Amino acid sequence: MSIDWITVVAQIANFLVLVWLLKRFLYRPILDGIDAREAEITRRMSEARKAQEKAQAAEAGYRKQQARLLADQDAMIEQALSATENERDTLLAAARAKLEQEQKEWHKHLERERHKFTAQLQRAGEETLLELTRKALHDLADDTLEEAIVRHVSKQLQVIAGELSHAAGDSTEAVASTRDALPEAARLRMQAEVEKLLPGMTLRFATDPQQAPGLILRVGGAQVAWTIDSYTDEFDALLDERTSARVSGRMQNDNG
Amino acid sequence: MQITPDEVIVFTIWGLDVNATIVNTWIVMALLVGISRIITRNLRADVPPGRWRTALEVIVTAIQSQIEEITEKSARHVMYFAGTLFLFIALSNLLLVIPAFSPPTSSLSTTTALALSVLVAVPLFGVAKKGVRRYLKSYIEPSVVMLPFNIIGEFSRGISLAIRLYGNVMSGAVIAAILLSIAPFFFPVVMNMLGLLTGLIQAYIFGILAAVYISTATADPEPSAHKEDYL
Repeated sequence: MSIDWITVVAQIANFLVLVWLLKRFLYRPILDGIDAREAEITRRMSEARKAQEKAQAAEAGYRKQQARLLADQDAMIEQALSATENERDTLLAAARAKLEQEQKEWHKHLERERHKFTAQLQRAGEETLLELTRKALHDLADDTLEEAIVRHVSKQLQVIAGELSHAAGDSTEAVASTRDALPEAARLRMQAEVEKLLPGMTLRFATDPQQAPGLILRVGGAQVAWTIDSYTDEFDALLDERTSARVSGRMQNDNG
Repeated sequence: MQITPDEVIVFTIWGLDVNATIVNTWIVMALLVGISRIITRNLRADVPPGRWRTALEVIVTAIQSQIEEITEKSARHVMYFAGTLFLFIALSNLLLVIPAFSPPTSSLSTTTALALSVLVAVPLFGVAKKGVRRYLKSYIEPSVVMLPFNIIGEFSRGISLAIRLYGNVMSGAVIAAILLSIAPFFFPVVMNMLGLLTGLIQAYIFGILAAVYISTATADPEPSAHKEDYL
């Protein structure tokens, strides 16, 4: 066991060279590579963290926007519901008004129809009554209706001749109005009665198709008349009473 | 029987005999530097490391972590020195399995050279870290009476390093040679396996002791005393 000092010196030199070589070709590249890789990992982690923060911020923004949209949606739904209710109320009110209007018009129509029917019925009643009266007078008394009317009016004229004379005032003309022209005999009788009861008063005969059957004598502001209206009015009242009773009974039966 | 490669002269240059120790040292150096150079020549941070580079990184980071455990901080210069000691001794001892290859570490000259390197490196690192005055002051601590003992301790550490490594490697080689002559087919295999294990352990011990001595010279007195007790 001996030490070769030349070899020792050479080995020291070799070792120092090896230290330098390994430092240059092993330690530094490896450690620098590790450091660079760690720096790269740190950088990527930092980028990932930033990207994550950015994503979280974007997510928060989207969530906020979603909440706002939901709130807007609720408000829009609420508004639409309110508008729908208003529209429905408006349409219902319009429908009700229209219905009421139609009901009113229908009632008016019914009323007009009733009046029309009543008028027709009255006219028919008048005609019938007139014919019956005329036929009864002819059969029983061999008389005409017009002459009977003239006689009736003459009687009334005798009762109120004074009042008519007073009511006539300055007027010197009396008008005898009928729906149809009076027969000549009836005219003469009527004219004679007027000349007798109202001296100085001239009589003029007139026809009015709208007038009820009968005779109306107008002297100034007063008049004396016999028309079939009073009879047909009673007939109408009787019909109305009967009709109302029948309708009431029908409604009671329907409800029962 | 040759028990040291110092006696094998490979060639002579300018009148100087170049023995097998030096040549084998160059072979180990060439292997270490060549492998390192091949693996680390095209390193890129953005490319994942391959198998060989990962193996090198494992070795280097293991050395670094061991050094940091001892010095309690990152000390690259210590790692360059102690790590090179470990790698050189470990590879030399591993090459024991190659027939007709005498490890450089089986030469007392080599172990002496390595021990002298540690012996010189310790005060150099200490002076570099603390300065000349503070380093020299550590020899007279805790009192001037301790100066000769400290100096003796310093040299004995180097001598023990050299003798320990040489003794272990040389004994393994000698025993292997003896057993080879007795039972050529069985014992050499077992002894070679044992030699690989003890060779790696010796490399580890040599490197660790070098790092501890350097850290002792560069550290404050209290922690260094603790490490001395530990060793």
